Amino acid sequence: MTAATVTGSPTAADAAASAPGRRRRRLRPARAFLHAFLIATCVVWIAPVLYALYTSLRPYADTAKDGYVSVGGHYNLGNYTNAWNEADLPLYFKNSAIITIPALLITLWLASMVAFVVARHSFKFNLLMLMIFTAGNLLPQQAIITPLYKLYITIPLPSWLSDSGHLDDSFFGLILIHVAFQTGFCVFVLSNFMRTVPNEITEAARVDGASEWRQYRQVVLPLCRPALAALATLEFTWIYNDFFWATVLMQTGSNRPITAALNNLTGQFFTDNNLIAAASMIVAIPTLVVFFALQKQFVSGLTLGANKG
Amino acid sequence: MTSHNSSSPTNPGHGENPTHRADPASPLFGRRSLLRGALAVAGVAALPALSACSSSKSGGGSEASNAVSFGSNAAVPEPKGAYQTLFAAAKKATGLDINVNWVDHNTFQQNITTYLQGNPQDVFNWFAGERMQYFAGQGLVSNVNDVWDKIGGSYTDAMKAQSKGSDGNYYFVPFDYYPWAVFYSKSLWASKGYTAPTTWDEYIALAKKMKADGLIPIAFTDKDGWPAMGTFDYLNMRMNGYEFHINLMRTGQGWNTSKVSAVFDQWRQLIPYYSPGFLGLTWQEGANQILNKQAGMMVLGLDQIGTIFTGSNADDLGFFAFPEIDPANGQDSVEAPIDGFMVAKSPKNAAGATKLLEYLGTAAAQQLWLGSNPADIATASGVDTSKYTKPQTAAISLINSAKHLSQFMDRDTLPSFADPVMLPAIQKFLSSPGEASSILSNIDAQAKTIWATNG
Repeated sequence: MTAATVTGSPTAADAAASAPGRRRRRLRPARAFLHAFLIATCVVWIAPVLYALYTSLRPYADTAKDGYVSVGGHYNLGNYTNAWNEADLPLYFKNSAIITIPALLITLWLASMVAFVVARHSFKFNLLMLMIFTAGNLLPQQAIITPLYKLYITIPLPSWLSDSGHLDDSFFGLILIHVAFQTGFCVFVLSNFMRTVPNEITEAARVDGASEWRQYRQVVLPLCRPALAALATLEFTWIYNDFFWATVLMQTGSNRPITAALNNLTGQFFTDNNLIAAASMIVAIPTLVVFFALQKQFVSGLTLGANKG
Repeated sequence: MTSHNSSSPTNPGHGENPTHRADPASPLFGRRSLLRGALAVAGVAALPALSACSSSKSGGGSEASNAVSFGSNAAVPEPKGAYQTLFAAAKKATGLDINVNWVDHNTFQQNITTYLQGNPQDVFNWFAGERMQYFAGQGLVSNVNDVWDKIGGSYTDAMKAQSKGSDGNYYFVPFDYYPWAVFYSKSLWASKGYTAPTTWDEYIALAKKMKADGLIPIAFTDKDGWPAMGTFDYLNMRMNGYEFHINLMRTGQGWNTSKVSAVFDQWRQLIPYYSPGFLGLTWQEGANQILNKQAGMMVLGLDQIGTIFTGSNADDLGFFAFPEIDPANGQDSVEAPIDGFMVAKSPKNAAGATKLLEYLGTAAAQQLWLGSNPADIATASGVDTSKYTKPQTAAISLINSAKHLSQFMDRDTLPSFADPVMLPAIQKFLSSPGEASSILSNIDAQAKTIWATNG
């Protein structure tokens, strides 16, 4: 509406005369309100992070004396070095890598294969299969934990895979449950994305004599890179941030991922919130790195599927 | 054209339209190197993991009698360091290698059921009272009668009673404990000339005086939920007696009676003296109000407030027993939660576990662990009390004067009742004190269901 009135008066004189006025017009109440709203939303989202950052820079003694909502006292990085050493963060970063990276790669690999079949062929069970995969994803984790745990403690594993001799309390078991739980969502996203890839491409490949495997690996999969990158970002965040599976299915404290290490800084009663704030800041970094490294693909991956229907 | 263009990314050298490819090229490069880096990290990470597997396997799997595994709930740096010192000394004294699984306190507690069913360590941290008896009753732990043959002499009868299951066997070895009381800052009280009240009327009068002096009379906080249980326990034990309180906790029967509703009526008298906005404050904030001399007194455990009054402030911490309400009961009960150890159902090294517990049950071991920790006291007798702070010494005389020890609500009653039912019920009472009767009938109904399903 605003745009129409501005561009709808086409004489050159008018345009020149209204040039300074145009700026004023932009500051209409609706626009001012929009910006106020955006700024307010931005502040609401960022405030907790900034507050945590601010707290993490202050020693506990100062905040105990003046309260957390205060200015003054000392500011230093002492909490960061303490958190890094006391919580043994390098060990837990390693555990998180052992769990997250294989889980992520296997999930994307399996999901892309299922998605390929569901999207490129019209078998009768396709819809049913997609429904089952998506439905499984909707199931709350807490609802299945008891039977799952019973299964985990009865399934034997060779001792080189698991210290406990069972699926329970092993990295393998944790990776497995992440793969099982995340594959459904990935299949859903990838199959929708693969449907947008024109059929002619695979038809041409088939005419050239490409096998089913080759069509998947060399034709469709490379085209899915934006979607795979987007999923990789999301899945990395989810698996990395998981606390539930990690605490229930892993009993050995020193094998738990980074989220559990944060809890190791919480005492039975006493909690040094400044130290935890600092540790949380450190722990958030890998997610940010992955997001910024993949963000271009992330955004195009989300929109590519939308406009190519 | 489409097919050619689209398939070109598989074969990067084949691209014939450089301007078209220029745009995605730079992020592609970043992504690739990142992925390559990620794979490298995974590979590097996997190697030590595999070697760690084999090394810890040889440690945990060795059935030799010189290794005992220990499940610790003390992953947080402060008690962890004390335990490490203790286990090093235990190795010297007993020749046992102690392989510890460090887990944080809350996770350990929440996962205890799955932990005990899965692959528990031989010896693990736990609590006395119903919390212990519940798992003893389920057959998930071993009795430790042979440990008690050795250490029995250095424990009081009250302590022995807290270590037995309902079948009369010992299942628990006590280690440290602490009392709940009403804490205050000695220097603040000295400057204002306050004296410790012993009866309810004196207590209320003192609170009034503090309010007139511009202080928060009673630092009270309820964001965490559980600290308020201490006030309920004391009110109930002072008004209705220890037996009634323990029966209420153990059987879950009698919540909707006039005796319990009288407790909440009494409690209502205190609410005007509580910290402003107490529903949103944590106990640490409340304890800091005492430390910073903004508040007069606070019902809490020594183990909690002792972590706030540290260093030069340690001896400034004073306390008195929760005041008498009914002279028939006086101040005869003290809430003193005991922490200690239990042995799993089928330990890999039962003889070693016994040997370790015999050591941990000695005064020397407990004193070593306590070190300079001013927040707990040792359970065994024969500790060198000259090394205690003033609050610790006072805690011993408070506990020794008690006829009965309770363990705190969440340890005296069923785990499925304390936190899920009582915690929110007390919070609701404190936010709307007028609804006590409907809250109580609600508690009563839930208690009946919970005890019916738990047999």
